[in-house]
Amino acid sequence: MIETVIRKRIEILADKALQKRVTDAIDRAGITGWTIVPVTSGRGREGHWREESVMGTDKVFVLTIAAEDKAMALAEELAPMLTDLGFILSMWDVQVIRGERFD
Amino acid sequence: MFETAIQTFTSPVVLFFVLGLFAAYVRSDLAIPEPIAKAMSLYLMAAIGLKGGVAVAKSGIDGTVIAALAAGIVAGFVLPLFAYVVLKSFGKLDRINSGAVAAHYGSISVVTFVTAGEILTGQGREPGGFMVAVMAAMEAPAILSGLMLARGAGSKSGTQSTGEMLHEVFTNSSIVLLLGAFAIGMLGGAQGFAEVSPFFEAGFKGVLCIFLLDMGLIAARRMMDSRAVTWRLGVIAIFLPIVNGAAGTALGIGIGLDAGSAAALGVLCASASYIAVPAAMRLALPEADPGIYLTMSLSITFPFNVLINIGLISAFAAMLTGAGGATP
Repeated sequence: MIETVIRKRIEILADKALQKRVTDAIDRAGITGWTIVPVTSGRGREGHWREESVMGTDKVFVLTIAAEDKAMALAEELAPMLTDLGFILSMWDVQVIRGERFD
Repeated sequence: MFETAIQTFTSPVVLFFVLGLFAAYVRSDLAIPEPIAKAMSLYLMAAIGLKGGVAVAKSGIDGTVIAALAAGIVAGFVLPLFAYVVLKSFGKLDRINSGAVAAHYGSISVVTFVTAGEILTGQGREPGGFMVAVMAAMEAPAILSGLMLARGAGSKSGTQSTGEMLHEVFTNSSIVLLLGAFAIGMLGGAQGFAEVSPFFEAGFKGVLCIFLLDMGLIAARRMMDSRAVTWRLGVIAIFLPIVNGAAGTALGIGIGLDAGSAAALGVLCASASYIAVPAAMRLALPEADPGIYLTMSLSITFPFNVLINIGLISAFAAMLTGAGGATP
C-alpha cells in the first residue's frame, strides 16, 4: 500500500488584481508551490459578484499545500488582508503522496 | 434638440446598449464570454489610439492641440476635487470611498468617448483626431488626485510604496495600449495605417456594438445586485456628469475648439472611468468598495451619458458656438 502523509491544503479566494500579494506571502512563508484557479461568480456578504475581466473585478482561488507550521505562518500573515481586502481563507487536512515535497 | 435625441436613439451602437440593458432586466441568459469581452476592449483601445495618432500626424501639433491637452490635464486634476467635496458632503461617503469614486469621475471612459464620436460625427460635428490624445492624457491625473485625497486619511494601503503605486498607475494596461497605439499611429502616419486599416476600421463599429451590448448587460446586472449605492450617490452619479459636461464644453469653446471637439472635451469631463481606474484602485486603494465606484460609474453614469448626456452636451456646444464662440 502506498504511503501517504497528512498536510494542510490552503485555499484563498482573492481578487485577481491582488493575487500577487497572496503568492508573495506564500513565498515568504517558505512554501514552495501554489496554483491559481479562476472562478466565475458567487455571492457573499457584499452581494452577488461575477467574473468581469474588463473592469478587473474577477476573482481567483490560490491553492497551496504545506506542513502545518508553514500553513499557520501563512494564515497569520494573510489575516489582516482577509478583513481589509475581503479575502476568504480556509484550510483542511489532506493526505498527500510524496510528503517531502510539501514540507 | 429633438432631432439630436432621435439621432442618438437610432444609432445601432446605442441601440445595442439598450438591448443589453433590456436583456439583463428580463433576466435573459444572454452573455458575452469574458475572454471575448476583454479582447474587444483591447481592440477598441488599440483602434482608437491608432486613429488618433494618424489624425495628429496629418494635422500636426499646433496651439489648439496644446491648449486642449493642457485643459484636459488640468481638468483631470481638478474634477476629482469637486467630486470629492460633493461625495463627502451630500453623498455622506467616508474619505477612502470618496477619494476612490472621485478618481473615477475625474478620469475618462474610452467607450463613452468613442460612442460620442460616432454620434457627433453623425450630427456633422466630428471631433478633431487630437482629442484622442487629450483622452489619453486625462486618464492618469485623476487617479493620482483621487489617491492623494483618499490617502490623506492614513489609508492602510501604506504597505505599498509611492513608487510601486505610480508604476501600477502608469503601466496600467489601458494607458499603455492607448498611448502606445497613439504613438504607433503618429509614427506610421496615414501610409502606415493603410496597411492595417482593414482590421481596425472595417470591424470597429461592429465590435463597438457587441461591446456595448456586453456593457449594457453588465451595467444592468450590477445595478440589480447593488446594495451599496444609496439614493444620494445615485443623484450624484447624474449630477456630476451634467455639471462636468457643461463645464468641459464651455472650457473647450473658451480655448477656441470647434463645436465637435469642445463637445468631446465635455463628454470626457462628464464620463467616469470603469476600466482603467477600477483596476488601479483595486491595487492602490483596495479598502475602497468596488460595489460603490463601479455601480455609480458603470450602471448609472455610463447609461446616462450614452442615452441622454451626449445629446445634451452636443446641443450645448452647438448653442455656445452659435452664440458667437469659435466655429469649425
